[in-house]
Amino acid sequence: MHPGVTPLVEIEDLHVDFGPARAVDGASLHVDPGEVLALVGESGSGKTTLIRAIQGLQKPTSGSILVEGKPIDAKTKKAIQTIFQNPAVQMVFQDPTGALNPRQTIYEIVAEGLRIQGQPDDEAAKVGQALSRAGLRPPERFFPMYPHDISGGQRQRVVIAGAMIMEPRLLLADEPVASLDASIRGEILALMRHLVDETDLSILVVTHDLGLAWNIADRVAVMYLGRIVETGPTEQILSDPQHPYTKALLSVVPETEEREQQILVGEIPDPTRIPSGCRFHPRCPLLQSGTLAPDLAARCPVDDPGPLAVGALVGAACWAVA
Amino acid sequence: MSLAMQRRRATAGRVWKQFRGSRQGMIGLSVLAIFIMMALAAPLLADVRELSPVYARAAGNPQWAPPGEFPPLGTDFIRRSVWAQFVWGSRVSLFVGLAATVLTILIGSIVGILSGFVGGRTDAILMRVTEWFLVIPFLPLAIVLASILGRSVWNIIFVIGITSWPSTARLVRAQVLTVKQRLFVDRARSLGGGGTHIVGHHILPNVSGLILANATLAVPISILTETTLSFLGLGDPTAASWGKMLEEAFVNGAMTRNAWWYFMPPGLGILAVVLAFTLIGRTLEEIANPRLGGR
Amino acid sequence: MGEPLLSVRNLHITYHRQGGSVPAVRGVSLDIEKGGSLGLAGESGCGKSTLANSLLRLLPPETEVTGEITLDGKDVLTLSPGGLRAVRWTSGAIVFQGALHALNPVQTVGDQIAEPMLVHETADSQDAARARTIELLGRVGLARPRATAYPHQLSGGQRQRVLIAMALACDPLLLIADEPTTALDLMVQAQVLALLDDLKQERELTLLFITHDLSVLTYACQRLAIMYAGRIVEEGPAWGVFENASHPYTRALAAAFPTIGDRSSRMAPSGLGGDPPTPGNLPSGCPFHPRCPLAEDGCLVEEPSLRVSGPGRSAACILV
Repeated sequence: MHPGVTPLVEIEDLHVDFGPARAVDGASLHVDPGEVLALVGESGSGKTTLIRAIQGLQKPTSGSILVEGKPIDAKTKKAIQTIFQNPAVQMVFQDPTGALNPRQTIYEIVAEGLRIQGQPDDEAAKVGQALSRAGLRPPERFFPMYPHDISGGQRQRVVIAGAMIMEPRLLLADEPVASLDASIRGEILALMRHLVDETDLSILVVTHDLGLAWNIADRVAVMYLGRIVETGPTEQILSDPQHPYTKALLSVVPETEEREQQILVGEIPDPTRIPSGCRFHPRCPLLQSGTLAPDLAARCPVDDPGPLAVGALVGAACWAVA
Repeated sequence: MSLAMQRRRATAGRVWKQFRGSRQGMIGLSVLAIFIMMALAAPLLADVRELSPVYARAAGNPQWAPPGEFPPLGTDFIRRSVWAQFVWGSRVSLFVGLAATVLTILIGSIVGILSGFVGGRTDAILMRVTEWFLVIPFLPLAIVLASILGRSVWNIIFVIGITSWPSTARLVRAQVLTVKQRLFVDRARSLGGGGTHIVGHHILPNVSGLILANATLAVPISILTETTLSFLGLGDPTAASWGKMLEEAFVNGAMTRNAWWYFMPPGLGILAVVLAFTLIGRTLEEIANPRLGGR
Repeated sequence: MGEPLLSVRNLHITYHRQGGSVPAVRGVSLDIEKGGSLGLAGESGCGKSTLANSLLRLLPPETEVTGEITLDGKDVLTLSPGGLRAVRWTSGAIVFQGALHALNPVQTVGDQIAEPMLVHETADSQDAARARTIELLGRVGLARPRATAYPHQLSGGQRQRVLIAMALACDPLLLIADEPTTALDLMVQAQVLALLDDLKQERELTLLFITHDLSVLTYACQRLAIMYAGRIVEEGPAWGVFENASHPYTRALAAAFPTIGDRSSRMAPSGLGGDPPTPGNLPSGCPFHPRCPLAEDGCLVEEPSLRVSGPGRSAACILV
C-alpha cells in the first residue's frame, strides 16, 4: 500500500466457508484511489464470493473488510442495508439485460439510486449528464425508452450511468463485458478506463479474461482455490509471471505472444478437498517437470506457502519463487 | 412523473390494440358489456315491484305462465315476472362476483407478496395458514360460516373471499419468488433500496400482470360460487339472484313441469358471463405472455 | 484433392415470423476439404448458428432455405426423411455449447451417448453400445464412473466433453462445433481445444468450428471465414486473416481481443462504435458501413461481393 493514502477497499485475511467448503481461504487485497485492480481467476477460485463479501451479500467467516477505512459488517440485514446505502461503492453487473427492470424506463432506471437516497432538485439534469458520460447521446432520446428498445452494449452503458450518477469512488465490476459482443467490448472497457482517468474513480474488476486486464488494469491479483497466489503490476505479472499457475494460464491464452502451451490436467479441485501443502501442487507443471531442487520439491506437497502478506504490492505464493 | 404517465398510457393503448385484435377477447368483452349494461339499466328494463309476490298476486299475474302467455319470460310459481328476476338478479350475481373477487385478490396478493418477499418464518406461517384454508372442504366451511354470520349479500361476499384467496396467494407467492431472484432486484438493493422500495418498484410491477389475469379468471369462479351457495339456500333470501332463481325453480318443481323459461335464463346467463370472463382472462394472459398464444 | 466433404453454394435462409420475414443468411458459399478445418467467426445476429443448424436441416420447418448443401456427396436439402436420418450423426454431427440445457437432465450421460448408436444402429446391441460409450468417455478424458452421472452433477468442462463424445458416437466424417468453448474457463477451454485437435488428427475428422472468439480459431483451424449480417465478408488461411486482415470488420474483431504483451493495446481497449446489425433491419449498401472507420460514399450504395484480396483470400470490401 502507498503510505499516507487510505485505500478504498482493504481486505485482510478473509475467510468465507460454506460448511466444509473453504471458498475464500485467507485472501488479502486492497484497491487504492484512481487505480484499476483486476481480480483474475477461473470458476471455483473464490473470486465471486470475495466480491460478494465486499458488496455485503456474503457474510465472512473471519477476516476484515474495510471500505474507505471503515470496517463493514454484514451480520444483520440492517447492517447490510447500511453498506448499500453508501454511494461511494457501486456495482456493474455481468448481465446488463437481467440487471435492468423491463418495466422501468431508462430514465427511471438511472434515476433510481438518486431517488432512493433522497430527491435532488436537478434530477433530470443529473440523469442526462450520467447518460451522456456513459456515451449515450443525446441523453434525452433515451429517457422514455425501455431496456428492450436498446442493444446489449447500450444496456451496459445504462448500468454504468446508473452507477456513476451516485458519484462513487469505487466500482465493483463482475465480468462487465463477458456477455457482450466482441466488437463492442472495447468501447465499454474504454469507457471504464476513461472514467478512471477523468476522476479519481477506482475499479475492482473480477474476470477470467486476461486480455481485459491487459487492456485496463493497473494491477492484477490472480486467485486459485480461495487464495491470491500472485499479485503485482499488470505488465509485470502478464509479461513475466512468477507463479506456475499464472504461467500456465498465460500460456493458454490464445492471444499471448508466447506459444508453448502448458495445459493443466483436470480442473480446480473442490473447495471441500483442498490439497495439502501448496494447494496447487497436484497440478503444478513446475513440480511435475522434475527440474526443482529435491528439497524444494519435497516441500510443496507438505508446506503451505501461506497467503500473501497484507498490503503486498507484488508477490507470488510459491516456494520456488524467491 | 409525467414521462412515466405517458409511457403507461402508451402501454395501455398497446394492450387495448392487441386485445381488439383478438376475436375471443372481443366476444368475451361484448357479452360481458351486454350483461353489465343490463345490470345497470335494470330499473329501465323491469319494474322492481314485479319481484314482490304480493304485487304479483295483486297484479293478477298467472302462475307458471310460459313466455307466450306472459312476455317476455313468463312467470314463476308465485306469479312473479321471470324477466324481472333475471334482470335484477344479474345485479346481485355480477356485484357479488366482482366484490368477492376484489376481496379474494386483495387478501391473496397481500399474503402472497408478504410470504414470498419476506420469507423465513413469516413465509412458513402464512403458507401453513394458506394450506389450512385450501385443505378445508369448501362447502361445509361455507355452510358453517353462512349459518354463523347469517344470510346476507355481504356475508356471501365475505364467505367467498375467505375461501378463495389461498390459490391466489400461492400463485402470487410463486411469482414473487421468481422476481425476487432477478438481477435487477439485486441492483436495486445495491443502490440502497429497502423492502418497500423493492416491493413497490420492482416486485409489484412484475406481478401485477399475473394478478390481473388471475382476477379476471377469479370472477367467474366467484359468480359460480355465489350461484352454488344461493342454490343451496345459503344465499340472501331477500335478494334476487340467478342462483336463487335456480334454487326456487328446482325446489318448486320447475323441471318436472318443464317450465324451461324459469331455469334456462339464469342457467344460460351464468354460463354466458362465466364464459365471457374466461375469454377475457385468457386473452389478457396471452397478451401478457405471448408464448402462450402459440407463437 | 477430390471433392470437398462439405460444399455450400449460395445458401439463403429466411425465418418467417408473425412480424415479417427475417433473412438470417444471405448468400453464403463455402467448402471444406476432407480432413480440413474451417473456422466461422461472427457475433450475435450474423447468422453463423443458423448456418450450422441448416447443414443437418435442424431448423424449424417453416424456415425458408434455398441454395445447395452437399455433404459427403449427398444433397442435404433434398434428402428424404429416411435419407436425412441416415446422414445425421453418421456423416455430420454437431457439438453444441455445453450449457446445462444442452443435455437431457433426467437421463444419465452414458445413456445419452449411447442413444445415437442405438438409433442409427451402429452398435449391434445394448452391450456393444455400452462398451463403446465407455471407450468414448475415455477418449474424451472422462473416467468410467461418469457414465452413470446426470448432467447437473458434472462441471461445464465435463459436460462439453460429454457432448463431444456424443457427437463422435457414430464416427461422423464432419464435426460441426457450435461455440463449444464459449462458456468455459481458460484452462478448460485449452483442454477442450487440445482434445478436438487430437481427435481431428486421430480420426481424420473434418471440422467446422464456429465461435465469436477469433483468436481461438487461429489455433484450431486451417482456414477462417468471417460472417457479418448474414454474409461472409472475409475468407482465407487462419493466421493470415488474423494477423493481416483485409476487411475492416475482421481487423476490428481481431483487435477486440488484445495480444498480451503488445504495447499498443496496453490501456487502449479497441472496439467499434454502434452495434452489430439486427437481421431484419440492415443498413443500405454495405451493412458494415455505419461502423466502418474507412467508409466512403460508395459504401452506402452497393453491397460489395467477395473479391480476391490475396492468394487464397477474399474479402467483401470495395477497398480491396
